[in-house]
Order: sequence, then C-alpha cells, then structure tokens
Amino acid sequence: MMNEFDIMNISATGMSAQRLRVEIVSTNIANAETTRTETGEPYRRKVPVFAEYLRRAKNGRIENVGVRVVQIKEDPSPFKLVYDPTHPDADENGYVRMPNVNIVREMVDLINAQRAYDANVAAFNVTKNMVSSALQIGRG
Amino acid sequence: MFNSNFYTLKQAMDVSLLRQKVYSLNIANVSTPGYKRKYVAFEEYLKESEMKLRLSTTNEKHIDSSKRDITPRILTQNNTTMRNDGNNVDIDYEIVQLVKNGLRYQVLTRLMSLNIDRYNAVLRGVR
Repeated sequence: MMNEFDIMNISATGMSAQRLRVEIVSTNIANAETTRTETGEPYRRKVPVFAEYLRRAKNGRIENVGVRVVQIKEDPSPFKLVYDPTHPDADENGYVRMPNVNIVREMVDLINAQRAYDANVAAFNVTKNMVSSALQIGRG
Repeated sequence: MFNSNFYTLKQAMDVSLLRQKVYSLNIANVSTPGYKRKYVAFEEYLKESEMKLRLSTTNEKHIDSSKRDITPRILTQNNTTMRNDGNNVDIDYEIVQLVKNGLRYQVLTRLMSLNIDRYNAVLRGVR
C-alpha cells in the first residue's frame, strides 16, 4: 500500500528529471558555438536518458516510484562543417568543425521540458489539496 | 449499519488515492521512452461482483456470499502508440483525469465528514 507522500515523491522525481533536462538543453545552447573542448574536439550535444524509477517494495514486488535520469549521453551525429578560413580552429582547407547542436531542436526540447515540468507541478498541487481535504475530515 | 457507510467511503477514497498515484506516474514518465500508460480498473470489477449470483441467506448464520473486498488493479495500456519513442502518455488527458480525481476525493472526504457529523449529533443529543 502506498501513502500520499509516495505520490508527492513521484511528482518530485518528474520535476527534477525535467529540470535536469532544461539544464542540459541550456548547456547545449550555451555551447552551440564551442569549437574547443577538453578532448580537443568541438562540443558534442548531450541528451539525458530517462527511465522508469523501479524499486523493490517491502513485500518483494517491483514498484514504480517515478522517473529518473539513468545517464547523460552524447549525440554521435557528425559535426557541422563551416567554411571560415579566418577561424583559429580552421583546418588546412579552411573548414571549421562546429558542434552538432541545432538551436531550433533545442528550443523545442526546452518547451517540451517546461510543459512537462508544469504538469508535474499541477499533479503535485492536486495531491496536496487531497491531503489537506483528508485532514479536514471530522472538523465539522 | 455503523460500519457500512464508513467502509464504502474508505474504499472509494483508497481507490481514488491509487488513481492519483497512477496518474502522477504517467505524468512523471511523459518523456520516458517505451513507457506505456497505466490505469486503475475498479468499477468494472465492482459491477461484475454485483452481477454474480449470490447464495440466498435464509438464516442469519448462513455465510454471506457477497464479496465485500474488491481490490483495484493497475493495468497497462499496451495497445496504443502515439509517438516515435513508444510512449503512449497523453499529457492533457492525464492532467484532466488527475484533476477530476482530486475533486472526487474532496467530495468523498466531505461525505465522510457529514457522516461523522450525523453520529456526533446523535451522541450529543442536539438536532
């Protein structure tokens, strides 16, 4: 059996997962022009990998308690080549390898993450109201 | 008599809480690849158990065959696919269901309160 606070925790896992997604999108946008990273390559777009948060309950059954980010992967798609011979990182033919970040795509992702975050907040608020109405029982 | 109202309301509240959990889960997993939405089946079982034949009880010592405890079940909807990632959660639908469920829960707590008030009135001897 579950209680109200477990339900609130579910919404909390949803909120923090979506917030992490916003953070990653922000990093991607911030680094959209980064041609030099520690590895010497241009910046690679990062993607969070979401999975169901499964936990073994006291009775031994596997219980789903929300969502979690299992890893942050790098997008393996190729870098963009831009012709700019004046750029310090240009190769001998004058081409610069730019990060594989697509701003439009990141914006779509950002809006999606924000909407999902809002939905989790709404769910949390409804649960909160349920608990407070249960506390009103017998108060006349 | 004393028990039945409270018992029914309690069971309805429990199911409502379970539904809340399932809707919250669906919403939390809206961007999880491969996640399929879950839902609670309860009224279906309730109806089924009402329709089943009951043994007639002619003596008060006869065992009452009507089943009181119908446990709700969490089922997974596997047969629809909405998006590329195999996730079939429709966030708008889930939010609306969740809000409706929350309101229903408040109605149930109100009924529970009114129920208690009735007994209080009798015990105190006021109208």
